[in-house]
Amino acid sequence: MLASIGIVVTALMMAVIEVPYLLRKRLKRELWAFSALLAFGTSLSILHVLKVPLPSPHEWIAFLYKPLSDVIYRTLQ
Amino acid sequence: MIERGKINDNQFRVLVILFIFGPAVLLETSLLAAAAKQDAWISAVVGVGIGLLIVWLYTKIGSKFPERNLFEKLEYVFGKWIGKIVSLLFFFFFFQLAAHILRNIGDFVTVHIMPETPIHFVEIIFLCIVIMGVRLGLEPIARTGEILFPWVIFFFFIMIVSLPPEFKIENIKPVFEGGIKPILKGSTTVIAFPFMESILFLMIYPYVNKIKEANKAFFTGALIGGGVLILISVYTILVLGADFTARNVYPSYALAKKINIADFFQRIEAIVAGMWFISIFYKLTICFYASTVGLAQILNLKEYRSLTLPLGMIMVVLSIIISPSMAEFMSYLPKYEFPFNLTFGLFFPLLFLVVAKIRKKTGKEPMNQTKGDGL
Repeated sequence: MLASIGIVVTALMMAVIEVPYLLRKRLKRELWAFSALLAFGTSLSILHVLKVPLPSPHEWIAFLYKPLSDVIYRTLQ
Repeated sequence: MIERGKINDNQFRVLVILFIFGPAVLLETSLLAAAAKQDAWISAVVGVGIGLLIVWLYTKIGSKFPERNLFEKLEYVFGKWIGKIVSLLFFFFFFQLAAHILRNIGDFVTVHIMPETPIHFVEIIFLCIVIMGVRLGLEPIARTGEILFPWVIFFFFIMIVSLPPEFKIENIKPVFEGGIKPILKGSTTVIAFPFMESILFLMIYPYVNKIKEANKAFFTGALIGGGVLILISVYTILVLGADFTARNVYPSYALAKKINIADFFQRIEAIVAGMWFISIFYKLTICFYASTVGLAQILNLKEYRSLTLPLGMIMVVLSIIISPSMAEFMSYLPKYEFPFNLTFGLFFPLLFLVVAKIRKKTGKEPMNQTKGDGL
C-alpha cells in the first residue's frame, strides 16, 4: 500500500516537472503522449508492487521463436 | 528534425566501441564457454568475423538516404503505414534491449557488490543518470563518452597486463575437440549480442557530421570492440578454464579477481568494474535514446524529452518482470536471442535494401523530393 502511494507521488512529481512546460509551449500531442505513457507506467508499477503476476516478454518471444530456434540449434547439435 | 545536435566521427567511434564492449564482455564469455568449451575463443573469432559482415551491411543501409535516421528510412521506403508498423516493432526491440541491459547492471550490482540492496533501487538510481543524459541530447552523451573512454582503456589495460602470470596453457587444450558445430553454436550468441544489436546506431547515423567518415567509424569501432571481445575470451579460457567460465555468470569479473602481483597488487576487481559501469551506462543510454526518439517519431511528436520519465518508469518494471531470475535469463539468451535478433538484425535490413532497390527501379521513389512531415 505504502509503495503504491509512493509510485503515485512519483508520477505526480513527473507531471509537475513536465506538464507546465508542455502547456506553455502548447504541445498538445506531446501532452497526450506523456499522459498516456505516465498512466500506463503508473498502473504497471502499482500492479507490480501489489505482486500481481505480469506476463514476461520472454515468454512471448520464446513462444513465437521456438520453431526457428529449434531448427537452428538442431542443425548445430 | 527531432535532434539538432551533431557529433563527429571520433565520438561516434567511441560510442560504437563502448556499445560493443558493454555487457557483452561481462556476459558473453560464459555463453561461449557453455557452447564451445575450451574452443570458446575460436567461437569468438568466428562470431566477430560474421558480426563485422553484418556491421558492413548496416553501413550500406546507413549511406542510403543519409539525412534520415532508421525510422524515417523505414517510413520512406515501406510507405507510411507499413513503415510505422515496422518502426513500432523496432521500438519494442530497442526497448526490451534497454530493459535487458538495465537488468544486467542491476543483477551485477546486487549479486557482486551490494547484495542487501533491492534491485529496484540500484536500477532506479542508475536510470536517473541515463534519463539525465538522454534529456540533454546526443551531443553531451557523445562528448562525455570521449572523456570517459580513456578510463575504460586504462582499466582494460590494467587487466590485460597483470593477468599473463596466471595463464595455464593446458586450459586451452585440446583444440577443436568437439568439431565445428559447437564453435558455430557459440558464435551465434556473439553475432546476436552485441553485433546485431548495433543496428540501433542507424538511429544516430544522420547526426554524424560526415557520412563517409561515419561508415568508417562504425566499422572500425565494431572491429576494435570485437577485438576486445576476442581478447577477453582468450584470457578467460586461459586463466579460468572452460568449465569454471561456463558456470560463472560474470566470468570477466571472476577474471579481475584473479589479478595478483607479488601478493600485493590484488583484489582490484571493484575498480576494474568501473569499465563495465561506464560501458554499460553508454549502451543503456544509446538504447534508451534510440527508443525514446523512435517513439516520438512514430507518434509524430516535435520533441522527445517529455517521454523520458514515463518510459523510464515502465522500463524499471519491465526489466524486473522480463525474467524471473538470472538463471532463466542465462538459459533464455543462448536459445532465443539469436533467432529473435535475426528478425531485426538481418531480415528487416535485407528487406529494406530489396524494397529500396525495387522502388528505385520502378521509379516510384521521389528521389529529388525534399523531406516531408517536418521530422
